[in-house]
Amino acid sequence: MTDAITPYPQVRVVSTRFLRPDTVEQLLNKLIQAGGIRRMSINGPGIPVIVPYGPARGQPNPHPGRKVIRVGDQDVMLQVQVGTVILELEDESYIPAIEKAVDEVFADKGFSCSVQQGRFMKTQPSMSDYARYGPDADRDLLGLVDPRRKDGLVIIQSTK
Amino acid sequence: MAYKPQYGPGTSKVAANRRKQMDPSQKLEKMRDVTDEDVVLLLGHRAPGAAYPTAHPPLAEQQEPDCPIRKIVTPTEGAKAGDRVRYIQFTDSMFFAPCHPYQRTYTECYRFRGIDPGTLSGRQIVECRERDLEKYAKELINTELLDPARTGIRGATVHGHSLRLAENGMMFDMLQRSILDDDGVVKYVKNQIGEPLDRKVAIGKPLDEKWLKANTTIFHSLGDVAYRDDQEYIEYIQRIHTLRTKYGFLPKE
Repeated sequence: MTDAITPYPQVRVVSTRFLRPDTVEQLLNKLIQAGGIRRMSINGPGIPVIVPYGPARGQPNPHPGRKVIRVGDQDVMLQVQVGTVILELEDESYIPAIEKAVDEVFADKGFSCSVQQGRFMKTQPSMSDYARYGPDADRDLLGLVDPRRKDGLVIIQSTK
Repeated sequence: MAYKPQYGPGTSKVAANRRKQMDPSQKLEKMRDVTDEDVVLLLGHRAPGAAYPTAHPPLAEQQEPDCPIRKIVTPTEGAKAGDRVRYIQFTDSMFFAPCHPYQRTYTECYRFRGIDPGTLSGRQIVECRERDLEKYAKELINTELLDPARTGIRGATVHGHSLRLAENGMMFDMLQRSILDDDGVVKYVKNQIGEPLDRKVAIGKPLDEKWLKANTTIFHSLGDVAYRDDQEYIEYIQRIHTLRTKYGFLPKE
C-alpha cells in the first residue's frame, strides 16, 4: 500500500468567505485556463435537495446555491457551497499561474483567498472506499467524490 | 444584606456586554420593528390570526389541587389559558454575533418567566407556552440580541455557526431561510423549519462590523478580544475548575 503516494504536487485554494455560484464558475474557468490540472475537487458544506431534518423533513429545499455552472466544456451541478478547491497539478511550474488566476478573481472581492501547497487528497483507500468500490478501486477517484453519491465525477477536457 | 447578582466576571468589553444582556434592570436596545404577525410567520406554529390551540382547559375553569407552590407562583398568560408549549431556536455565528447559546440561556432566565431553554454548542432553543413565546420571541428578534445576517432563526437544520460567512456576509444556511435582498435588507423566505412563506418577512439590515465588534458577547482571539486577555475571567474559571475537581475527591475539611 505504500506505492500510493504520487509525486504530483497539490495545491488548495481557500477563500475567507463561501463563494457564490457565479464566482465559483469564474474561478474554476480561470483555473483550468491556467492549465496543468490533473484532478480537482471542490469542497464546502452540502446543500440538500430536500429538507433533511425537523417537522418539514422531506419537503423540497429550493436554494439558489444549488445550481448548474459551466466549467470548460462541461455543466457541473453544484451540490455544496464552495469554500475550498483542491487541485492536483502535472508539476510545480503551474503553481504561479494558479496563484495569478486566483488573484485576478479575488482582486475586487473585498476578501482574501490563499493558495496553499501540501497533500490534500487521499492516498490510500479507506474502509468506506473499500465497501463502495471494492479491492480494485481506481486510485484517481479516491476522495474526489462522495462515496455515497451515485453520480460520479465530471471530466473536463484539456484546453491544450 | 440583600443578595445582589453580579451576572458574571471580567473586565473586558465582552464581559461587560454579557452582563448588560443578563441584567434585567438594563433595557435592551431596540434595533428593528418586526410585527406580531411577522413573528407568528417566522415561528410557523400557527397561522396568523388563528386561535391558540390548547393543551388543557384554562386554569380558571379547572380544579387546581391544593398545592402551596401554585399559591406562590403566578401563572403566565399562556399557562393561564392552557396554551401548547412551542419553541424558537437560534443559531449564532462565531463571527461576532451579538449573542451566543449560553449567553441566551442566561439572559432569558434572568429576563423571562415560564421558560425551558436548551443550550447546545451551535444552537439554543427556548420552549414555553405559545402566547408567552410570541411575546418573548418578539423581544429576542427586535432587540440587540439579534443581527439579521449573523443570527439565524432556525428550528431545524441549524448547521452554520462555526463556518465561514458567505460572500455577502450572511451565515451559511443549507435551507437558505433568509436572504440578503437587493435593497440590502435581510428577509426571511422560509419559516424557522424551512417551509416557504407566502410573503417575505423583512427583519432589517445587517449590522456593521464595527457595531458587532463593540457589542459582541463572544471572545475571539482572531480579530477581537481574546479570552485569555481577560485576566479576571480566567481567574474565575480556574477557581471553579479547581473547586469542582477537588470536590470530585470529596475532601474532608
